[in-house]
Amino acid sequence: MDVKNTGKKITSLICLFGGLILMIVALVLDFQGSELTFRGAMLVLGMILVLAGMFTYPSLKHHRTMVNIVFLFPLLFTFAITVIIPLILGIGYSFTDWNGIKYTEVVGLANYTKMFTQPSFLWSILITFLFVIFNMILVNLVAFLLALLCTTKIKGLGFFRASYFLPNLIGGIVLGYIWQFIFSNVVTKFTAVLINQNYSILSDTHTAFVAIIIVYIWQYAGYIMLIYITGLNTVPRDVLEASAIDGANARETLFNIKIPMIASTITICTFLTLTSAFKQFDVNLALTNGTGSVPNFLGNYLTNGTEMLALNIYSTAVINNEYAFGEAKAVLFFIILATVSILQVRISNKKEVEL
Amino acid sequence: MKKKVLSMLLAGTMVVSLAACGSSDTGSSTDTTAEETATEETATEEAAEETEEAAEETEEAAEETAEAAEETATEASATGSFEAIRLLNGKPEIDTQLQDLAAKYLEETGNTVTVETIGGDTSASDELKNMYQADNMPDIFVIEANQASNWDGMLADLSGEAWTEDTDFELVDDSMGTIGFPYTVEATALAYNADVLEQAGIDPSTLTSPDAYQTAFETLDGMKDELGLTAVLGWCAEPANLGWSSGTHVFGQYLDAGLAQDDTTYIDLLNDGGQIDEARMTNFATFIGMMNQYSDPELLIDGTYDQQVAGFAAGKYAFVTQGNWINATVTASSDYSGFAMGFAPYAFEDGIDTIIAGPPSYWTVYSDGDVDAAKAFLQWVSEDSAQNILVNDAGLISPFNDCQYAAADPFYESIKSYMDAGKTSGWHTMLKKDGLQNETCQVFADYAKGSIADAETFTSTIAKVIAGYYAE
Repeated sequence: MDVKNTGKKITSLICLFGGLILMIVALVLDFQGSELTFRGAMLVLGMILVLAGMFTYPSLKHHRTMVNIVFLFPLLFTFAITVIIPLILGIGYSFTDWNGIKYTEVVGLANYTKMFTQPSFLWSILITFLFVIFNMILVNLVAFLLALLCTTKIKGLGFFRASYFLPNLIGGIVLGYIWQFIFSNVVTKFTAVLINQNYSILSDTHTAFVAIIIVYIWQYAGYIMLIYITGLNTVPRDVLEASAIDGANARETLFNIKIPMIASTITICTFLTLTSAFKQFDVNLALTNGTGSVPNFLGNYLTNGTEMLALNIYSTAVINNEYAFGEAKAVLFFIILATVSILQVRISNKKEVEL
Repeated sequence: MKKKVLSMLLAGTMVVSLAACGSSDTGSSTDTTAEETATEETATEEAAEETEEAAEETEEAAEETAEAAEETATEASATGSFEAIRLLNGKPEIDTQLQDLAAKYLEETGNTVTVETIGGDTSASDELKNMYQADNMPDIFVIEANQASNWDGMLADLSGEAWTEDTDFELVDDSMGTIGFPYTVEATALAYNADVLEQAGIDPSTLTSPDAYQTAFETLDGMKDELGLTAVLGWCAEPANLGWSSGTHVFGQYLDAGLAQDDTTYIDLLNDGGQIDEARMTNFATFIGMMNQYSDPELLIDGTYDQQVAGFAAGKYAFVTQGNWINATVTASSDYSGFAMGFAPYAFEDGIDTIIAGPPSYWTVYSDGDVDAAKAFLQWVSEDSAQNILVNDAGLISPFNDCQYAAADPFYESIKSYMDAGKTSGWHTMLKKDGLQNETCQVFADYAKGSIADAETFTSTIAKVIAGYYAE
């Protein structure tokens, strides 16, 4: 028994050291910029050997943990590469004067203080909040009404459900260009006759803002409607029957039974519309690209009348080539969204307990 | 025990499959980036399609040429033999011709150049940033003049190369030396339909003052039905998609019209904290006001580039506010009747008689790349057989003095006459602060819409906008 164990121990140690050496050599080769293409395979082989060494080590203590880690590794690795590392790097870059290629100095909080003195950014924050409020109310209202419509016994129910949901399947950019065409080639035909305005409503800041809201509702209401339909279908039939027997009319049933019963659905939908409206980018880009003038905002003539936060961050970084400044704005954006999401989780959890 | 073996096997396969995903990238990094960029790039669907095809072609070409290179390496010509290099091109419309160019280069010298094409106007510089972060830089890449400072210290100095003696258009930076190779000359001014002007009895060479333009516009406006015109001008101040036209090109006329090629008076003033010359700007604004008045009202505020160019090609407009890059679209249009065309200056002050002409972008050499191979290639491009492809096949206008080919461009004659007379101004609009065009184009749009009422308001507004932008 002892001999067997020692033998096992020796193989495991050989595996461990062999694996470690392979890994180190592969990493050194990589940092030296070597052209040898098998260094990746070497690294992986090293890792496998190390694992095998650890696993064959004569102790069963940590086997379960090791297996767990091995199985979680692909996901954790991808998550780290695509989310965690970029987030940390991004926050780091926001304290520098990075221009997308290199940075020359660390500027501390300068980007953060600068962002609150930039009128165009303040304007973007303002209209983003306005947009979020309008959308949260309007999308939910429209979606709920559509859901009520789609839970009645009308003919062609499936067709209506599908067609209300369809706009959600079209990508935002495509949808934006379709609506841009409609606004500048079809709607103008009517406005020219009715109010003698022969240019599209997209070229005026106020009406362009309304246009974005309309398109957004058109795109998003169908999706929220589906969630409401599911919610309305979970309202127990016996409760509805009982209320009908007690003589409740349709309005009373709706306000006193259906709406209270789907309170949790309303919370979910509210937060869904809230976060997605905050992140609005593609429709904004395709419809107006943030253009529109504001003659007097804090004493400035602004030219980004319809530019919302996400688009503002994009154009700061990519168009104006101020990557670090864009990063700083993105960090603020992240903080806002994170706060909203945490709030959402808290509230939903509380609701679940109550139910 | 069996379970243990099974779990080991499972874990093993997972790690190996991961490794397989990871390691397959290392070998063919250039090809994958070309493919990736092709799919990512969706500025225009056509461009994307072209680049995708191009990416496939490059792959094939690369494979073929790799073999061929080995064979011909021993019998390489006087230019010497070099490792394969990569060129990042920013003009999707000339991608096929550049592939031909690379094939010709291989045939003549035995050296390989792989051409990778990124479409659109800002995306080439974005993609370059990705490539830089991924340590996957091409040896030669395209930049616009104001991007040079971003690459400070990473661009090879090309001064002393033979081709620099032969052109006036190379990009010279004070600290970095000669860094940019001009591969084409583009011109922008008021493009006109020569046939229409002739029918109306207007001599374009007399259009050198605002009064002359006023008279010409009035004449044309009065003869619209006779000449088959929809409007005198196809001028479009739509900011969302055509902001580059008004904010960069038309605004560039304020900076350069009437000045000598190397005169930087107004761009220097602009880059010194965003100042403008008010008198000049007011004259410019008055001229733009006149353009607004005579432009097609349907196009003025929310027209698109396609509508603008298609209308010009169909003979609906006597003038259009674009440059010679519209030539291919115009001549390919089914409505194009074969009329002659040329450029007239933006004569917003008396005596302005120049058009803006020069390279809008340059090829630069990455100093950590294969500089010698890149220099040899650029020298070869400036010579006869390469110019033949670029001028005759790609329809570019050569920036080199001894180029013997006349471009197929219908604007060529007009541009050449300005170049020969020394009446060209620089593309200094490319030196303004990044992103300024997105601010100024909105002011043009407001002026066109009428919410800015007159030239004085335009001047004070644009001054405020520019100063605000430079102050940030």
